[in-house]
Amino acid sequence: MTMARAAVIQIPGVNCEYESARALERAGIEAAIVRFNEPASVLSEFDAYLLPGGFAFQDRIRAGAVAAKLPAVERIAAEAERGKPVLGICNGAQVLVEAGLVPGIRPGRVELALAPNRAPRRQGYLCRWVWVQTGEGPGHATFAATLKSDAVVPLPMAHGEGRFETADPDVLRAIESEGLALFRYVAADGSPARGYPDDPNGAVLQAAGITNRAGNVLAFMPHPERAAVLKHVPLDLPGPWGDARRAASGSYEALEGAGPGAFLFAALAARLGVGPAGSEVGARKGAR
Amino acid sequence: MSALLLVRLKIPDLTALTALDAGRALLPQGHELTRLVREEVYLFEAAPGAEASAFEPSIAHAVETSNFFVNPNKERYRLVRSGERGRTWDPPEGSWGILARPRGDTRDSGLLERLMREHPLQGLGAIRRARVWWLTTRAPGAKAGDDGAAAYTALGPVVDARHGLLVNPHSDVSLRLAGPTEWSRVEAFLAEPAPAAEPASSRA
Repeated sequence: MTMARAAVIQIPGVNCEYESARALERAGIEAAIVRFNEPASVLSEFDAYLLPGGFAFQDRIRAGAVAAKLPAVERIAAEAERGKPVLGICNGAQVLVEAGLVPGIRPGRVELALAPNRAPRRQGYLCRWVWVQTGEGPGHATFAATLKSDAVVPLPMAHGEGRFETADPDVLRAIESEGLALFRYVAADGSPARGYPDDPNGAVLQAAGITNRAGNVLAFMPHPERAAVLKHVPLDLPGPWGDARRAASGSYEALEGAGPGAFLFAALAARLGVGPAGSEVGARKGAR
Repeated sequence: MSALLLVRLKIPDLTALTALDAGRALLPQGHELTRLVREEVYLFEAAPGAEASAFEPSIAHAVETSNFFVNPNKERYRLVRSGERGRTWDPPEGSWGILARPRGDTRDSGLLERLMREHPLQGLGAIRRARVWWLTTRAPGAKAGDDGAAAYTALGPVVDARHGLLVNPHSDVSLRLAGPTEWSRVEAFLAEPAPAAEPASSRA
């Protein structure tokens, strides 16, 4: 079987490159951590790209603002244009938004911001588990094919600037009508998020992840790589994934099994022609 | 009328230095960016029927004796009182500014609540937050600084990966302070609801 190769881009200040690479490897994708200043020719050799979480350039000016100007990101944009998958997680999502890779209603234009979280009487950084629901949309085949289209998955989030926002009503309409908000925050039972804490940051459309129109670029605020293995799940998490975690206590093999975030890497692997295509990684029985 | 507090780092501002470096790469050929200073802006707005002069001495005391606004180990500040600020806000000599504020409500009610708890102030209605970037730029062939018209396009609101840097127009709105700017305009900019962006369909 031909191995698919993904580049995990290491920009000064990111801090999730190793666990992101491990999550890709677990899904059957060969992952390499590639420094931001490698030549464009090196980057072009890869089949997919992951911009990990962290604080690229210390979030100076604005999260993602400086990294978005890097030649490496320009190269990744060109590769995305050729159809290669690009996943930005948390700070990586902020970079993709600031570089204009999502939603791409007018390609290249910056049409979104990831603004500071907005919740009543709360400010700043927020770190907790949230529930996201998958939708239909052009990104489903690349980033969620291993899930049913309305599946609800618990994932950790950890950000201060995660509120998808646009000042352009045309862009908002396009995101909604074309299904570009592939992942939305919901309550644990799958009902709509009606404010904090189910909606942790006040994003438009309760968006947790937005794709481009082609569906091969995803800006995703939660951290699936921190939930790729069952042992990542907190013991007190309610619902089927928490039940599974509690049941696995004491069993090394069970704890090393797929966690709720594994679906995304498995879907990416399937898209790249490796890994368990057609399986339902992440769709735990009993979960919606 | 209102009072304005401007706070900047007196230690090297690495954010401004990074912006300087990133901004130089975005300027049109021949343009220069020689200096960039970042200041946090606090607008102290009088309550309806009150005058800023009523609370300004107390604000001055609170700024000097508490850590709400200024860490004197690393920051310096300037309090611009309503009675002594003149008609316009003048950029530092040779510079022009980009005043940026969040879309939506600019009032920081949490900060106001904490301040009032420790320093009860008569007549203070709201504290609004913003940021100003002071830029010193030079257009090709110019002997002195310019008003930043071309540089604002290159370094102001982000349009795409190659144009704009300091403001994301989807989360913030900005006002170019090309020269002396009337305080009433500054106050209105900081207080009024932000206008929606032009729809993409109507742009070239």
